[in-house]
Amino acid sequence: MPTTARALTAASLLLLAACGGPETTAGADGPIAVEATDDACKVARTSAKTGNVTFEVTNKGTKVTEFYLYAPGDRILGEVENIGPGLTRRLIVEVTEAGELQTACKPGMKGDGIRGAFTVDGEARKSADADAALAEATKGYQRYVNSQADGLLAKTTEFVDAVKAGDVERAKALYPVARTYWERIEPVAESFGDLDPKVDGREDVIEEGVEFTGFHRLEKDLWQAGPQADTASIADRLLTDVKEVVAKAKAVELTPLQLANGAKELLDEVATGKITGEEDRYSHTDLWDFRANVDGSQAAVAALRPVIEERDAALAATVDQKFKALDDLLETYRDGDGFRLYTALGESDVQALSAAVDALGEPISRVAEVVSR
Amino acid sequence: MLLSNGLIGLREGLEAALVVSILVAFLVRTDRRSRLPQVWLGVAAAVALSVVFGAVVSFTAATMTFEQQEAFGGGMSLLAVAFVTGMVFWMRATARTIAADLRGKLDRALEVGPLAVVVLAFLAVGREGLETAVFFYSSVQAAGSTVQPLIGFLVGIGVAVALAYLLYRGAIRFDLGAFFTWTGALLVFVAAGVLAYGLHDLQEAAILPGLDVLAFDLGDTVPEDSWYGALLKGIFNYSQRTTVLQAAAWSAYVLVVLPLFLIRPRTRAAAGARS
Repeated sequence: MPTTARALTAASLLLLAACGGPETTAGADGPIAVEATDDACKVARTSAKTGNVTFEVTNKGTKVTEFYLYAPGDRILGEVENIGPGLTRRLIVEVTEAGELQTACKPGMKGDGIRGAFTVDGEARKSADADAALAEATKGYQRYVNSQADGLLAKTTEFVDAVKAGDVERAKALYPVARTYWERIEPVAESFGDLDPKVDGREDVIEEGVEFTGFHRLEKDLWQAGPQADTASIADRLLTDVKEVVAKAKAVELTPLQLANGAKELLDEVATGKITGEEDRYSHTDLWDFRANVDGSQAAVAALRPVIEERDAALAATVDQKFKALDDLLETYRDGDGFRLYTALGESDVQALSAAVDALGEPISRVAEVVSR
Repeated sequence: MLLSNGLIGLREGLEAALVVSILVAFLVRTDRRSRLPQVWLGVAAAVALSVVFGAVVSFTAATMTFEQQEAFGGGMSLLAVAFVTGMVFWMRATARTIAADLRGKLDRALEVGPLAVVVLAFLAVGREGLETAVFFYSSVQAAGSTVQPLIGFLVGIGVAVALAYLLYRGAIRFDLGAFFTWTGALLVFVAAGVLAYGLHDLQEAAILPGLDVLAFDLGDTVPEDSWYGALLKGIFNYSQRTTVLQAAAWSAYVLVVLPLFLIRPRTRAAAGARS
């Protein structure tokens, strides 16, 4: 057994020799050098971004010193003790929130130390290791996004091919199918700036000076205006843009909070666009989009489910129940592989759907709060 | 530079060396030499673990958050208190058995699992092992520009071990009754210090409140970086800024455990026959 100990010691000495010096993994701008003496505490940079902040504290004085990072009210965020004269010690502090902090060197390890202001900005972060469950949630949702992105690319390709081949019936059949994949991951796509209006912009909400392209422009050509001179090129552009969305969606790194907010955004989409029949005004395939938005919202919530369950079991139960009510209601409008057209819905149908979405919206909006606790 | 780093080495090494030396002396005095390998196993395991973890923390991006470090240190300390307290009463039971001259029963009084001996030795050394290892590595790194910190540190550890050895030699010479009394009482104070130290860690991590509610601040009269401050810190975990919670816990522990330990049934232990 002592031989094991010796082997371990030898191994770590090898490690020591191999490394030769401290590696640091401080964000973009490396560790912050701190030069501590008996009567000064020189901090090379007095600001940092949220996340891991690394200090390299070198004691150039004659007394043993300590280095502290304080939050307001002298709450200790991190400290390194026993920095003997001539030594350099490293301190890595995970700063989760922006704020006005203080650094302090304590020569002789006493008193309040030599203080200095230290500013941290950037967005608040959940402590990385505070919640493995949240990390798992984002991974799970990422897998969902990837699978939908694949579907989006495949179906959009088929749709574009049909449009360019002049096969109007086939294109019309593929239109709501391709959009289903799009609508499921719309919040992710929306985060890529101008791609969303290019792919999914509606004629009335397109800004001045921006061309009307994408799904809805083709929808208009297929159902209402008939083929235009530039229909084929619009179709090509749609495919190009979708390819870009797919590539970005696969590379994006989401936070748990984005998932929770995305789940809510999808329901808002339903309430503002699908319920009113504005989204697919020429094809009236709004219920396909409706279903897809709800799917996407459900997927995000499902990924976060272990976390919600743990922190607020009652909320988890409520969300499940409201999702089920909405699912059941939507299923009554099924028609073969798809759904009834929006034009076939009566006043009371729209009201019932609207009520079911609103009933779900309230608990879903609480998910973000539970996740960011 | 040499002296102040040396004092850190002395401080970090002293408590562990003391507990281990008393444990060894106790086993030797009660003819339990067969248990000695277990002591060294515990010590070796703690040193090895500290060396490996220290290297990981020093040379890789791996890091524990401040709260984790303090919670870990505080938790280890509380565990160490439990074991050292156990050792004190284990010694007391042995002393009583010897006092009553029931040699035959001595074996039974000593029937503490080998694991307990290993764990006790492990905790004594491992409690501050990680911090000490990290300190050691940083002094090795500094050796590129100055070897003084490294030499100072090694000398400090050496002095701690030497002092502990002297204690051991002395303890071996004491008559058995006195040996139990003195070393047991010393251990009570050591354990009280470890308890206070552990609570302070938990206060720093804000797991327990009252970090700024001080009982006293002797930073100017008994500074920790003086030789006597270092000795006090090494043996009794004295801290120059002691919080009320620390002081209360220390007092409560000593006031309860010391009398329990010292109150002897019937006569005081008879002088050991073998000296």
